[in-house]
Amino acid sequence: MFIFYDMFKQKKLSTLNAKIYHLFILTFFLIILYFYFFYYFKDEHISKAYITNQGDNTVSIIDLNTLKKIKTLKVGIAPLGITILQNKKLVFVGNVGTDDISVINAVNDKLIKTIKLDTAPLSLASNPDETEVYITDWFKNNVLTISVEEMKVTRSLKVGKTPSGITFNKKHQYQIITNRDANTIEIYNKNYNLVKKLKTGDHPFGVYTIGDFAYTANVYDDSVSVINLIDWSIYDFLVGAHPYNILAHNKIAYITNTVDDTLTIYDLNTKKEIKTLDTGETPENLDLNVKLNLLVVTNWGSNSISIFDTQSLRLIKEIKTGAQSRSFGDFILQ
Amino acid sequence: MKKIIFAIMAIMLSASVFSHGPTPQKVQESVTIAASPEKTWDALKNYSEFKKIMKVRSFKDKKMKIKYELIKKDVPFSDYNAQIRVKKGANDNECIVQWTARFYRTYKLNPPIPEGQDDATAVAAVKEIVGPGLAEFKKFVESK
Repeated sequence: MFIFYDMFKQKKLSTLNAKIYHLFILTFFLIILYFYFFYYFKDEHISKAYITNQGDNTVSIIDLNTLKKIKTLKVGIAPLGITILQNKKLVFVGNVGTDDISVINAVNDKLIKTIKLDTAPLSLASNPDETEVYITDWFKNNVLTISVEEMKVTRSLKVGKTPSGITFNKKHQYQIITNRDANTIEIYNKNYNLVKKLKTGDHPFGVYTIGDFAYTANVYDDSVSVINLIDWSIYDFLVGAHPYNILAHNKIAYITNTVDDTLTIYDLNTKKEIKTLDTGETPENLDLNVKLNLLVVTNWGSNSISIFDTQSLRLIKEIKTGAQSRSFGDFILQ
Repeated sequence: MKKIIFAIMAIMLSASVFSHGPTPQKVQESVTIAASPEKTWDALKNYSEFKKIMKVRSFKDKKMKIKYELIKKDVPFSDYNAQIRVKKGANDNECIVQWTARFYRTYKLNPPIPEGQDDATAVAAVKEIVGPGLAEFKKFVESK
């Protein structure tokens, strides 16, 4: 290349060769530019929220970078529970009306499979290595296991009455469920043995776990129960009216209060409430995108989601989704 | 005799907090009223017709929103709670009143569901309260 340049400089090249030389340089530059843009945009992180709209049998998909609704997908009847396999990029949605699970490919947001059950799925969770999805069968008091590889139910575990919320503790490899009408929380190990059963507050519904703790939202006594998974101690704290679900991150708990239409933000270290924020109507469930500092709350009554900034603790935007938005479970693709 | 009645009442009361299906039902209707939001909000807070069937749980002046629980008995639905709110209309002398009801069907156990205790019956019954209720409230406010 430099030989050409020298020759060109010395005017020893013909015009044609000069043109070839310039073309070569241009192409080289374009190739560099192409690779630069290709890798730059490839690394741009796509994050989406999947909102189950129980009233119109759809899932709304929201891009959390642009904060815009990008797609509405038809699923089974009365979708409620949801869990996302982050690495496999799969979304599992439970349809209460058709007794089945809709599986969505989160790369192209297309429905790829419907798994038939013999019962109505309430809540969904998955294990960290994304090989299994767990479902609470509220009517028959079971927890079903779906093998992700086989895409079918491979196990049914008899649990306590009215299993409602379900979550998986990565550190201890526990499956944790709330028994709403028995006012208990049950902890199962990876061999499906009951490790512990404890009394919580009244009507525990949503449950969350991280590290050595589990948290239940107790709908009827407006409280949260905090369970220590090492010594099994429990304490409760009060939140707003009819709390449905809870999420904890960096020792801060976020709780949706469905009758107050608020979100309680609570410091688990100091055991004091930090703030209460207004949400849409009947805020039921919530999930967090840690990288973007976004907390998303589903509003059943307003048919929308409220998106909050977790650093400034302010509402950023409310986006209309579909009828009776719920998303009971984890619903953000990180 | 009194003890038996009391026991039965206690059982019936406790039965109301037993299991209900996973699908809460929703009736949400709105009406446009030719009156300012402030006047309508004042009227709503004192409106006796609603208070005959629902107990006020809380109200927020800033948001012009009232939360209710049901006191009306013998209804084919359960676990009802509702909110009525006044929203700004197209101009200063207009507003929108929206009533959102959340409730479950009467039958709380596993399907099969007995006739008259299903979701459809529950929804129809609530619509019968909400629709005419809003229409009457509109007449009331506009006639003042």
